[in-house]
Amino acid sequence: MNKTADVIVIGAGIIGAATGYYLAKKKLKVYVLEKRFPCFGSTGRCIGGIRQQYTHPLSINVMRESVQTFSTLSQEFGKDVEWFQGGYLFLAHSEEKKQTYLKAIQIQKEYNILVRFVSQDDCAKIINGLSTDGLLGGAYCPTDGQANPFAVTYGYLEGIKKLKGKVFTNTEVTKINLSSNKIKSVITNAGEFFAPVVINAGGPWAKNVAKMVGLDVPIEPERHESLVTEACERLFDPMLVDYRADGCYFIQNYGTGHFIGCYTPVPNQPGDNIKASSEFITEMPRRMARLVPKLKGIKVIRQWAGSYEMTPDGNPIVDKTPIEGFYISAGMCGHGFMFGPALGKFMSELIIEGKSSLPLDDFALNRSFGKAETMK
Amino acid sequence: MRKEVVICRCEEITEKEIIKVIKQGYTSLDEIKRILRCGMGHCQGRSCMTIIARILSQQTGQPISKIKFPTSRPPLKPIPIETLSNYSSEHE
Repeated sequence: MNKTADVIVIGAGIIGAATGYYLAKKKLKVYVLEKRFPCFGSTGRCIGGIRQQYTHPLSINVMRESVQTFSTLSQEFGKDVEWFQGGYLFLAHSEEKKQTYLKAIQIQKEYNILVRFVSQDDCAKIINGLSTDGLLGGAYCPTDGQANPFAVTYGYLEGIKKLKGKVFTNTEVTKINLSSNKIKSVITNAGEFFAPVVINAGGPWAKNVAKMVGLDVPIEPERHESLVTEACERLFDPMLVDYRADGCYFIQNYGTGHFIGCYTPVPNQPGDNIKASSEFITEMPRRMARLVPKLKGIKVIRQWAGSYEMTPDGNPIVDKTPIEGFYISAGMCGHGFMFGPALGKFMSELIIEGKSSLPLDDFALNRSFGKAETMK
Repeated sequence: MRKEVVICRCEEITEKEIIKVIKQGYTSLDEIKRILRCGMGHCQGRSCMTIIARILSQQTGQPISKIKFPTSRPPLKPIPIETLSNYSSEHE
């Protein structure tokens, strides 16, 4: 078999799949190399939320593009990706949180995001069964939403195959060969692949992939855990976000009616352990029931864990690198699924035209990492 | 051939749908599960996954002993949110 392509994408998560798809649409021959199976890394472990409520202007702009794209994917793939604009509601239980959200809303409005601060009463109207105990209100954006991460990622990969590309599963990259400072080939357990361009979309393993060409990138995985309940009748539409130290976030899956959610552990849990813990499966239900008491009788059917690939400032790294032909799109900090469609488009422009239509300077590899995202 | 045999009862996935996905080239249980949702419902694949493994074996010729099953995850059976939260360390 001829193992020469125009572009090799390492990793079949949302980032690799979307980037590969937009490159294939521009007539490049794309090979995606995946060490296990599509969505094995972080994409398949995420809960599928899509929001524009960020504080970094670049993240807001990326998400405007992504939301636009998500709304077209079912038609583009000829298959339902379960995109549903049910909104996001960030709850404020303290004056400090309220001020943080009010400031964020001010920034978001400059970019025409349909977001507003709503009262305690409105929160209770938006979320059927919400406990308003200690609640001051919330930041609500009805145009945020959700989609099915599997349907979106497999949709992109099927698209790549239709556009003469290939997806190689169980194909683990072990070495990247350079010739002077240029990409020459990629060695895997399934042989050697050749392309002048390689994209590191390795998610939690992106740091290891970058090391293969001698680059040290500041991306460290942290464990996040999730659970899903049995399906039940529709209770509410938005992703409900409680950012208190012992808060949580969850959403009712539009396609199926399951509740799916997680929380950010305090302190954080760096490392590549993605085993599920007994602490989570008791603590998460307590937090969910505190917010929406009527969930008490609903049964939890599964728990699992995955990685947030964190960078020092909470923003991704999407850039070319000092190695000619080697690109990186990783360190998504838990936002990979929602950023994926837009970053895929912008990365394809960066590779083909040398620059993207939306400048990605703030996601540059050599930035100072000083300005942190407050709505991580 | 039988037409509409439901294999995954929780998510109502038929034999026909499973065979179609296998023919598309998705020849692992992990991929079939993620594409069709079979095994993601109330029983978590405890009723259907061995049947799907047999269909996969018949379709691809891989012996069942070589087919890798998706990771089994807690809880072993569905448990109400209230019951679980009573075990939370915050309330001990």
